[in-house]
Amino acid sequence: MSDATFIVVAAIAKILLIWAIALAALLPNLVWAERRGAGMIQDRPGPNRVGPFGLFQAVADVIKLFMKEDVTPTYVDRFIYNLAPWITMMPALVTFAVIPFGAPLDVTIGGVTRHVPLIIADVNIGILYIFAFASLGVYGIVLAGWSSNNKYSMMGGLRASAQIISYELSMGFAAASTFLVAGSLRLPAVVEWQQTHVWNVVPQFVGFLIFLIAVFAETNRLPFDLAEAEAELVAGFHTEYSAFKFGMFFMGEYANIIAASGLVVTLYFGGWSLPGVAFTGVWGALASIAVFFAKTLMFIALFIWVRWTLPRFRYDQLMDLGWKVLLPLSFFHLIVVAAFVAAK
Amino acid sequence: MSLELVVFAIASGLAIVSALAMVVVKTPVKSVISLVLTFFALAVLSVLLSAPFIAALQVIVYAGAILVLFLFVVMLLNLTQEAEGHDERPIQRLLGLVSVVALGGLLLGVTLKAGAPPVPAAGGPIANVKDEIPILGRLLFSDHLLAFEALSVLLLLAAVGALILSKRRFD
Repeated sequence: MSDATFIVVAAIAKILLIWAIALAALLPNLVWAERRGAGMIQDRPGPNRVGPFGLFQAVADVIKLFMKEDVTPTYVDRFIYNLAPWITMMPALVTFAVIPFGAPLDVTIGGVTRHVPLIIADVNIGILYIFAFASLGVYGIVLAGWSSNNKYSMMGGLRASAQIISYELSMGFAAASTFLVAGSLRLPAVVEWQQTHVWNVVPQFVGFLIFLIAVFAETNRLPFDLAEAEAELVAGFHTEYSAFKFGMFFMGEYANIIAASGLVVTLYFGGWSLPGVAFTGVWGALASIAVFFAKTLMFIALFIWVRWTLPRFRYDQLMDLGWKVLLPLSFFHLIVVAAFVAAK
Repeated sequence: MSLELVVFAIASGLAIVSALAMVVVKTPVKSVISLVLTFFALAVLSVLLSAPFIAALQVIVYAGAILVLFLFVVMLLNLTQEAEGHDERPIQRLLGLVSVVALGGLLLGVTLKAGAPPVPAAGGPIANVKDEIPILGRLLFSDHLLAFEALSVLLLLAAVGALILSKRRFD
């Protein structure tokens, strides 16, 4: 097997592996976990009829979404209306390309040993790639709101665009601090630094909080789900969507949660590494993948916990928090971290 | 035909078509989307030129932030259709056409005269560097420091100016 073929085969294998774990295995069960979690927090059983513990509820839901009639209202802008759900799915699908999900592995085929880092694309721009696609994801929501030709949807889209612009900056500045100490924009470098030093969450706890809050806002989750806000906007930007297209928004939200949790873990909680543990060989690589997804699952649980615990922000409170609290705080945090790095 | 050429053809074709669509399309929201597509295609071209950093900045700053703001304003003002009716700016249109033709001719002439671009030397400052971002940062804060600082002052001035203009209207 030549080098070029090997790289292509390895890349395809990695993509399939990450999509199989994150999308095929995690995503449907996440919907179940959210509904059961909601039930637990609200002191009711939640869906428990389909299969053991209601585990097949997700399958039933997906079949229902496929089978339902796809209603397209008369006055929508058809092209954009059909395009919007796809744009929402995109950032979640591409984010995992630059997140390292396991310890590097040595593979020997036909006597030739090759070093395989468990990351799909180890590009120099690393985090900027994620921010670039995350910032494009907002178009899905905004355009869905606009093309629906419905004032509630429109309001949802407007809110989403302002909200995401407001929190993107704080998120970027908080993340930049982790790259300052690691000295590279590559996510594997950030993981390596945390492996040899300390998890970023300890010295940069403030940065971690800013990043986490901004991530909640960027994924449109409660307490920041003002684009949906069912009490005032019916269902906000996806009021006019039904059947499979609604399902795509639904799945997109959960896929974004998985990707965002993976990113938080990588930046602040050591990624796939554990302090004092060296992952070597095939079993080591498998164990590190398990560690990475175990950490990711913890943050997914946090997302669900927060959603059913906190009430929704009012819109002016949301803007105040973003511009008057988080943004100055993230500036200050970045300057302090930069001073420490420079002093070393 | 190499893969690079195929990607180049697709990206540059998309850039041209979407740039045209931006001007021609009647709905302002669709114009904004066409502009997003144009910027995205230009970012792909930057990647082809081995400048992924520039590509990422292009998408984050232009497609991801500035155009979302454009879209926000267009939606907020609820501009659904361009005002129909008689042409209110016949002279401006004519002048615009003349300058477009002149600029296009100039660019075409220069491009044709220049011939093939020189192949960069193997030992250049950016060649064979694994990570170009530190180099860019160092250049920005040493050789081009004055221009960099002047630009930031200019941006600050623009922000303050906008604030004063909008405040005057309410007072």
